[in-house]
Formats: sequence, structure tokens, C-alpha cells
Amino acid sequence: MTSPSKIRVDFVALLAACALFLSTVEYLVPKPLPFMRLGLANLPLIIALGLLSWKEYLLLALLKVLGQALITGTIFSYIVLFSIVGTTASVLLMYLTHSLFRKWVSLVGVSIAGAMGSNSAQLLLSRYLLFGEAAKLIAPPFLIVGLITSVLLGLFAQQFILKSRWYKKYLEGGR
Amino acid sequence: MQKVRLGDVIIFLLATLLIVFSFTFYKGLSGRPEVRVRADGGEWVYDLAADTTATFKGPVGETTIEIKEGRVRVVDSDCKNKVCIAAGWISSPGQWIICLPNNVFVRLEGSLKGGTIDDLSF
Repeated sequence: MTSPSKIRVDFVALLAACALFLSTVEYLVPKPLPFMRLGLANLPLIIALGLLSWKEYLLLALLKVLGQALITGTIFSYIVLFSIVGTTASVLLMYLTHSLFRKWVSLVGVSIAGAMGSNSAQLLLSRYLLFGEAAKLIAPPFLIVGLITSVLLGLFAQQFILKSRWYKKYLEGGR
Repeated sequence: MQKVRLGDVIIFLLATLLIVFSFTFYKGLSGRPEVRVRADGGEWVYDLAADTTATFKGPVGETTIEIKEGRVRVVDSDCKNKVCIAAGWISSPGQWIICLPNNVFVRLEGSLKGGTIDDLSF
């Protein structure tokens, strides 16, 4: 077993690879509008909540952003800014929600909080960076899609951590 | 099996509240189309339905716009190239005319009723 302070690079890499793969799957799904996505790549981030220290968690978030930008080809465009801001907001919210209210909130709630944080942060960014006041018009559909997909992802993640033997193994063998 | 918990419901309700709140952004948008003119010194708003003319001062002189029968155009401008005059009439929300040398920006705002989508791609 590794010491608590040490970052388990190989384990984070496994989860990051999973996020990279899911980014690819997501990229294959046609989107009615470019920013309306399922958020599949966030699945490892949700599941990893109970498994990683905050340092490892941040590393995973960073790798997810990089991986996703690599897959979608946006790594050198302003779009990557949205990804960074959105992921940072959702990661902070999810980590806080999970560590503070673990007793009352399942991964469904964590997922919703993360999605709302991410979407709100991205809306604010587009409000001040790109579109001005017009950014407000996209807010309702954007948030609704975020709510629906985050509930579905949260339900899946919750089922996963209850059923998965892999998860149980790492939960017991972890920190 | 652990089911959905109280906190989930609370977070879900908060998210719904946020969405309901976001719908208030739509208020005051579906009004009548209006002409917004930004020039040196501020922004002016005109009703597209009321025929009128107005003159704005800018760095190179005066720019005059005319609103008539639900359309707007630049009638006269002291700029060199007269691109703004050549732009002609505009009548749908989202359209605009700019006189860059004279720093006058005329744009139409309002509901997109009757407006068309430029393009769609999948």
C-alpha cells in the first residue's frame, strides 16, 4: 500500500484513460448544438470521488480536460477555456458536496451539483468573454440538458459503486 | 441498497429553482422590434413602427438615419466611403448597419418572429 500523501499515478492514469475513452465515445454522438453534450467523460470524476485524495482528484480533473481537448481537437482554441472553467467549477463543487454531505447525498446529488456548477460557470464565462448579454438566452435549455444528463450519469455512477467489485476492492485497499 | 437520499432531492430542487430563475432572462425580450443606435455619447432607442429621422454626431461629422415603414437606413453620412449608405434598408431583428469612421452603430433588436435562421449544420 502506498502512503496517504503519495499520489498513486498508475491508478489516476487508469481513471484518466477511462475519461479519455469516454470522451471519444461522446465525440461520436451527434449533438444538436455543440455545447449540449452528455458529459460522459465526467463519469470517472464522479466515481473517483470516494477513491482519491484531493491531490489525485485534481490531477484526474486536469488529465480529463487535456484528454477531452485532445480528442475534440480544441486544445489550442478558446473552447478549452470553457472546458477548464467548467471542469474546475464542477470538480470543486462535487468534491465539497461529497466530502461535506456524504451522509445525505448520493452520487446523484453530487452529479447534479457538478453539472450545475459547470454549466453556470460556462454561462458566466460566455457572458463576459464571448457573447455578452445574448449568452443569457441559452441558459434555460443549457441548464435543463445539464440537469437531465447529470441525473442519468449520477444514477449510473451510484449503481456502479454499489455493484462493482472493482470499486469495492479499491475502496478497501485505498487510503 | 442505498436509494436516492434527502440531499439529492434538495440539490435537485435547487437545480430546478436555478432553471426556473434562468427563464426570467427571457422577460422583456419579445417586445416590438426597436432600433438601437450607438454613437458617440451614448445609445438611443427608437420604435421601428414610428417613422422618424435622427442625426448623430461622430468624429468625422454627422450621420443621419431614417426610419420608415418598419425599415431603417442611413440617409446621409459625412464619412468617406459611404458604406453605411450603400448598406441600404434593414428590417429584421439581428441586422445592423455600421458607419465605422463616424462611430455610429445601428442595430435592430426584438423578437425573432418572422425572422429566419441563417444556416444549420449537423
